[in-house]
Amino acid sequence: MHVLAIIPAFNEEECLSSTVAELTSQCPDIDYLVVNDGSKDDTESIIRGEGLHGVNLPVNTGLTSAFRTGMKYAYRHGYDAAIQFDADGQHMPTFIRTMARAMDENGADIVIASRFLNGERFTGVRGLGSHLITHLVKMTTGVTITDPTSGMRMYGRSMIKMFATGFDVAPEPDTVAWAIRKGNKVVEVPAEMRERQGGESYLKLSNVVKYMSRTCLSILLFQWLR
Amino acid sequence: MALQQRILILFGAVLAFAIVCRRIQKDKILVEDSIYWVVLSLLLVVVAAFPDIAIWMAGLLGFISPINFVYLLIIALLLIKVFSNSAEISMLKSKVNDLAQEIALREELGTKDTHHHGDSSATDTHH
Repeated sequence: MHVLAIIPAFNEEECLSSTVAELTSQCPDIDYLVVNDGSKDDTESIIRGEGLHGVNLPVNTGLTSAFRTGMKYAYRHGYDAAIQFDADGQHMPTFIRTMARAMDENGADIVIASRFLNGERFTGVRGLGSHLITHLVKMTTGVTITDPTSGMRMYGRSMIKMFATGFDVAPEPDTVAWAIRKGNKVVEVPAEMRERQGGESYLKLSNVVKYMSRTCLSILLFQWLR
Repeated sequence: MALQQRILILFGAVLAFAIVCRRIQKDKILVEDSIYWVVLSLLLVVVAAFPDIAIWMAGLLGFISPINFVYLLIIALLLIKVFSNSAEISMLKSKVNDLAQEIALREELGTKDTHHHGDSSATDTHH
């Protein structure tokens, strides 16, 4: 299976280099693409200086657009699967193989690396949001996704095409719910994640309300129209 | 509708029309985008010049005061305009992102093989 790891990077000078080094040493059989999302720090010079494989968005366009840049690359180069891989060191490359195997064996269109398949959950506000989205997805699709907000998702060919050519497709739980409703197969595999190793999160506290309202509204309302 | 109200609406409509014309003249707005405002200001001129139309419509729809009908009409037209602006900004955002993505994809940095420090012995192990 021809797999591309898409690494969106917005101001990730601290971690990018070590994240890529870990990825390439543990998964030498997959390709990767760093998508520099108009970073204001030294992300671009790190990519150029260390000869990392990447592309450079001329302006900051947001996580969704950065990821879709990678999906366009994957689509045009005929990859079988693409995985969203965080630049900040949260995701562990060892699970990529597990995910690829799960995709292959189950004929899945989306494989999610779940932190909660063992029954554990976040506590506090983070857990509340995650729970709420799980319930909404269950309500609208009948399928239980234990870790809908996991950022580590692998997408198969049909989803790559969807991301590369569709309108307003975000690498977020609403797209997972949409995919299930359209008859795509989504499976989860147990995985662990680390705390971010540096840099700044896309999901700042100020964006959480926006994120939750967008996700919930999209799952409940908009995807019935699409 | 009181005479003062009619004069006020007429004055506002003429002013709006003048501003739109000036913008077109200075190349600050596309003609296609000015249509809405030209039509809106003409509509207000008609309302002010022939108050019987507004009075008749207001009576038909159960408004006690015709001016309230005029307000509602203007608010409704503005809401439509704001929403269509929002939709247009959405499309512009989407286009800007698409353009940025295409620019990004034109120049590929580094090489695809995963041994990124120029190790040419890396083999193509997929397929």
